[in-house]
Formats: sequence, structure tokens, C-alpha cells
Amino acid sequence: MNPEILGRLHNLLGDQGLRTDPLSCQTYGRDWTKTYEPAPSAIALPTSTAQVQAIIQLANQNGFKLVPSGGRTGLSGGAVAAQGELVVSLARMNKILAFHAQDRSLVCEAGVITAQLQQFAETKGLFYPVDFASAGSSQIGGNIATNAGGIKVIRYGLTRQQVLGLEIVTGKGELLKLNHGLVKNATGYDLRHLFIGSEGTLGIITQATLQLLRAPENLTVLVLGVPEFAALMQILQRFQANLDLTAFEFFSDRALHYVVQDKGLAKPFVTPAPYYALLEFENDSAQREQAALQAFQDCIEQGFVLDGVMSQSQTQAKNLWRLREMISETIAVYTPYKNDLSVRVSLVAEFLKAVDQIVTERYAAFEVIWYGHIGDGNLHLNILKPATMDKAEFFEHCAAVNEQVFVLTQSLQGSISAEHGVGLLKRDYLAYSRSAEEIAYMRALKTLFDPHWVLNPNKLLSIDTSSL
Amino acid sequence: MKILVAIKRVLDYSVKVRVKTDHSDVDLANAKMSMNPFCEIAVEEAVRLKEAGVASEIIVVSIGSKAVQETIRSAMAMGADRGIWIDSGEAALSPLTIAQLLAKVVQAEQPSVVLLGKQAIDSDDNQTGQMLAALCDYPQATFASKVTIADSKATVVREVDGGLQTLQLALPLVVTTDLRLNEPRYVKLPDIMKAKKKPLDTQTPESLGVSLNNSVKMIKVEPPSERKAGIMVPDVDALINSLKNQAKVL
Repeated sequence: MNPEILGRLHNLLGDQGLRTDPLSCQTYGRDWTKTYEPAPSAIALPTSTAQVQAIIQLANQNGFKLVPSGGRTGLSGGAVAAQGELVVSLARMNKILAFHAQDRSLVCEAGVITAQLQQFAETKGLFYPVDFASAGSSQIGGNIATNAGGIKVIRYGLTRQQVLGLEIVTGKGELLKLNHGLVKNATGYDLRHLFIGSEGTLGIITQATLQLLRAPENLTVLVLGVPEFAALMQILQRFQANLDLTAFEFFSDRALHYVVQDKGLAKPFVTPAPYYALLEFENDSAQREQAALQAFQDCIEQGFVLDGVMSQSQTQAKNLWRLREMISETIAVYTPYKNDLSVRVSLVAEFLKAVDQIVTERYAAFEVIWYGHIGDGNLHLNILKPATMDKAEFFEHCAAVNEQVFVLTQSLQGSISAEHGVGLLKRDYLAYSRSAEEIAYMRALKTLFDPHWVLNPNKLLSIDTSSL
Repeated sequence: MKILVAIKRVLDYSVKVRVKTDHSDVDLANAKMSMNPFCEIAVEEAVRLKEAGVASEIIVVSIGSKAVQETIRSAMAMGADRGIWIDSGEAALSPLTIAQLLAKVVQAEQPSVVLLGKQAIDSDDNQTGQMLAALCDYPQATFASKVTIADSKATVVREVDGGLQTLQLALPLVVTTDLRLNEPRYVKLPDIMKAKKKPLDTQTPESLGVSLNNSVKMIKVEPPSERKAGIMVPDVDALINSLKNQAKVL
């Protein structure tokens, strides 16, 4: 980046607000997608919406590109700066600005960490329901920009369901205040929803108004041993007939094996099972518990379940959750090829079987680790790199797997990215889930809000110079 | 051989403890309650002794309001055979009163081993097991990290400051459990269903002939002072400077 622009950024942001040292560039230049080498020109750490606006205006005037950056826990390269972009980190905009008890909502800056939000809600006797393994690092701005999902979607929906209002600086540098915390607002196009899940390509989120909810009571966790894929969905159906589940997750015995081995956690029970289902519900009355036990009994009788345990304390519930939540972290050392797919819930069993077949038939040497938010039709497919294979060869094989898995996903009208976003990683596969017409509208919207394509270029949509 | 396990229902270990605004006590309204972790270890140990063929019956006893029945059921789901609930209502009980109530149960049941947690994580008294042993005139082994019972004798490894101590004791005896004794199992769903059908006997302090005169009164509860937020320093020089001049640790 030319020194004159750096100087102007420095004037704008001060010593604390601009970093060019190699360590910061390494740190802020990438997310949890470790396939890309970070190479940002500098890191901007604004403290106000006005500063964000000034940065975007400067980028438009001088033709440099920006990568909006939150907690950088993304898995699709959405926050990677590998092309000399300026990273705009919202980390210093981390204040909760207002709490409205009667509205049960809060207003916060984009850099507030998800776990802080959850804790804040808790101190108010309320609950912020979006939760996932990286909640201790991820920021709310990034959650909104990716419409983050996680482990409670089956009951509470995605981040989108919690957003009552947004403050945005568009790629043009204009300030938008959207929906103002309203529950009802039937005044035409709800622009707020365009920015949710836009992966920082249309504007930078600077503030959000979020809905808080009644805190659930006595969340109780079941872990069930399951003999086959098909039984998983039968279990879901049987339990949902009796209860509102707050989570329905699954993982394979291989996934559990790694977590138990690496984290020293106890297996839930000794009965061997190829798959496990983790269910959570509000155990707020004896009747509710009875309903869960009845559903379990039925599943045992039908052969859908081999064995099962139920948490007796919050500590046990937490430990059972760790069996699921530690998977991603535990297998990270095996350089997994990760995929995040979804189909309609009713097609999950068929889909799982077909994908498993593709991988095991053609790539018998690869170890497949399955887990996912199966109650939402969302599966995380992880293939571990054989220790003897080099990275390049492995990823080449994986690209071939991708192709086949995506064709299958397309045939079932599923999504090639259920909750991780598109970013760089899935960009060239977008057409498997979106039609040419849809993509053309997306490009038009991009150009409308960000005419010079300064924001997160090449993420989600590739820059086609002819369209500029 | 009979084992009696005394358990306590406490604020869940994972719950953030809040103090009532008038500082009279910890705020338990709507808070998740569960079995004291050390008591869970005691139940687990009893179940293992039964599984190993050493014990033939496990009786679980708990004292408190109706809600403790739930904790007793939980212990029965882990593997205890029957339960005794001593209905003391909402009264605050001192360790001595609890030991007196338990001594009556010991008298009636004549167990060979009485297992208790070394302390409850709420009041942290660490007295009940010892007092009970004294009242019953039983030998005691506190802070147990290994329990072996054979030939009518118990060998217990105790966690003592800076090491381990091994005791051999005659039965009947009182054992209080430490953290490393075992890792309690998860409760299986079929066992939860079975536990609902196991016998649960109700007693009261009156039926046991114990009066609840509490000699200890809690005057005030205060939360620990809040930690100050950390600061970010730009470089090593600033770090050393603040360690020297602000934190004064260098």
C-alpha cells in the first residue's frame, strides 16, 4: 500500500488503530481456513462507525480493497486477506451500548464477542440463543455477516432470527440504519436481511440490535447410541412428537474416538455404537421427563437406539456436550478436508448414505469423520489426511470428492454451504446451489451497494472485470 | 453386606453462584440443583463395590425438602437399591444435626460401610462424616482415593498433605470420598425408569427422635471481589514498565 494512503489511515486511526507488523498481518490476515497464506497490506482497527465510513470512502477514492474482519473463526476463507487488502477489524468496537428490558433486546457494536453477549443476557436473566463451539472468539458482526447457526438452530433459528436492527456502512460508504429494533415493519424491502449472510460483500456491519429470549430451564442432554444412519431420523421424529428439542446433533464413533482419546473425556457408555445422537430439551417438569423417557423406550423397542444416557446435572450436560463440541478442534491436527452441507431434513438419511458410499468406495484409504446438526439437515463431512500423503495430493483428491458430493447435493436441491458461508472456499461451486439467474441478481446487488467492489473482493462472487 | 450412602442436594457445580441482594444467603431461586459431586463419587464407589460382588445392597439417604427425592432417584438410577428421605423441610441444618439424623439411620440399618462425600460444595464444612463416625463409634477413613474391602476389613488410601496414607480398618466404618476415588458414570435411561420403581422410604426428624436445634447461624454472605479488567500493552517495554510500576511484581 502506498505510504501516502498509509499516512492518511494513520491520521484517521492513530497509533493503536493501524498495524503493519508481520505478526499482526499473519494473525489478522486469515481465519480458521488454513489453506490460504495471509498477505494483507495493513490492519485497520477502527473504534467508531465514522472511522469505518472514512476507511471505506478512502478505499473507493484510492482503489484499494478491504476485508472486514471479526473473530476470524470462519471455515470458508471469508475473512482471509491474501491479496494485499486492508483488513478492517471490528475488534475494538466491542461495547454493548444499550439494554432495553421491556423490548428484551440489546444494542451492541459489531466487535462484541458472542460469549460476552451470552453472558450479558444471562446477567439480565435472559438468553441469547445462537451458540457454537467458537462462541468464545467469534464476534457478533461476523455472526451476522455469515448468518451463523450452531447448535440451537432447531429450536431458536439462525442469527437472522435474532437481528432486530442493523447499522451498516455500505461499500459505497453510505450509512444505513435498518429496522430500528422493530418487531413488525411492513414498509417494503427489508434490506436488513440482505446484509445478514452477505459475508461482508455489501457493507460493513457496525452495530446490531438483537433479540433476547427467556432463558431455558434445566437443559438436559441425552446421548444415544444409534445402529445406522436411517435410525437417526426416526429418533428425531419420535422425540419431536413428544418434545421441543433445543438440539439434535449427531457424530460418528470415529469422531468420538478422537475426542475421548485427545481430551481424556469419558465415553457416555460402553455399549459400542457406530453413531451417536445428542439431544437436548428443557426438562422443566416431571411430565416432560416422562415424555423423553417414553420416546426413548419406543426407540429401544423399534431398534432405533442401542443404549443411552441422560445428564443428571449441568456439569454432566456440559461434559456430554463436550463430546460433540470438541470434535472440530480435536481433528484439526489431521488437516481435515471439511465440508458443510445441508439437505431437507427428510432427505438426510438418504444423503448421508450416498455421500458415505462415494467416499468409502472411491477413497477407501481416507478416514471419514461425520458429525453435524442433523436436526437442521446440516452435516459436517470431514475427511482426515492420511499421515503418509502430502497436503497437495490430499487436497487434489478432496477436490474430486467435492465435485461428486456437490453433484449429489444439487440433485437433492441441497446447499453446498449450510452455515459456514461461501467465502473463497466454495465460491467456484456456488452454481451447485444457486441458479444462474439468482447469481446474476446477487452480482447486481453487489454492484449496487459496492460499485467498485472494494469490500471483500472475490469472496462469495468472483470479480468479473467486465461487470465493473 | 450393606452400604449406606449419604448424599446432599446442592447448587450445581457449573452454576454461577449469586448472592442475595440482602447478603443473607446464596440466591437459589430458579437455580439448577444437583447431587454434590463428592456424594456422586460416594454413590459410584458403592455401585462399584456392589458390581464387584462385595456389597449386596446400597441404601441412599438424603435430608431436606421434597426436592431431595429427585437427587435420591438420581442415585438410585446410578445403581442404589433403595432410598430414605428425611423430610426436614426448609430448615437450615448444621453438620452435627445432620450427623445425628444419619446416626439414627445407621442404627436402624446396621450397614457395614457408610460412604459420604468429604464435604459438600455449598457449605464446605467437611464435618459430617467425622461427626457421624464419632456418634456411631465407628472407625473413619476420610479423603479416600482408593477403597478395598476384603476379609471383613477395609483398606483405604487417603489423600493427605503432600502424599498418601494407607489405613486398614475394621468394619463397620465411615469413609468419606475425595475427588480421585473414581469418575462417576453417566446414568442410563433404562436405569432412570427402573429407579422410579425402587422403594423410597420417608422419615422425619421426629420419627427418628432428633430435634433440629441449630447451634450455627449464618450471618452474612459476600461474593468475592470482582477481578479488575486486564489491559493491553503495545510492546515488551511497556509490559515491563507496567509490571514494575503498576502491578509492582518486578
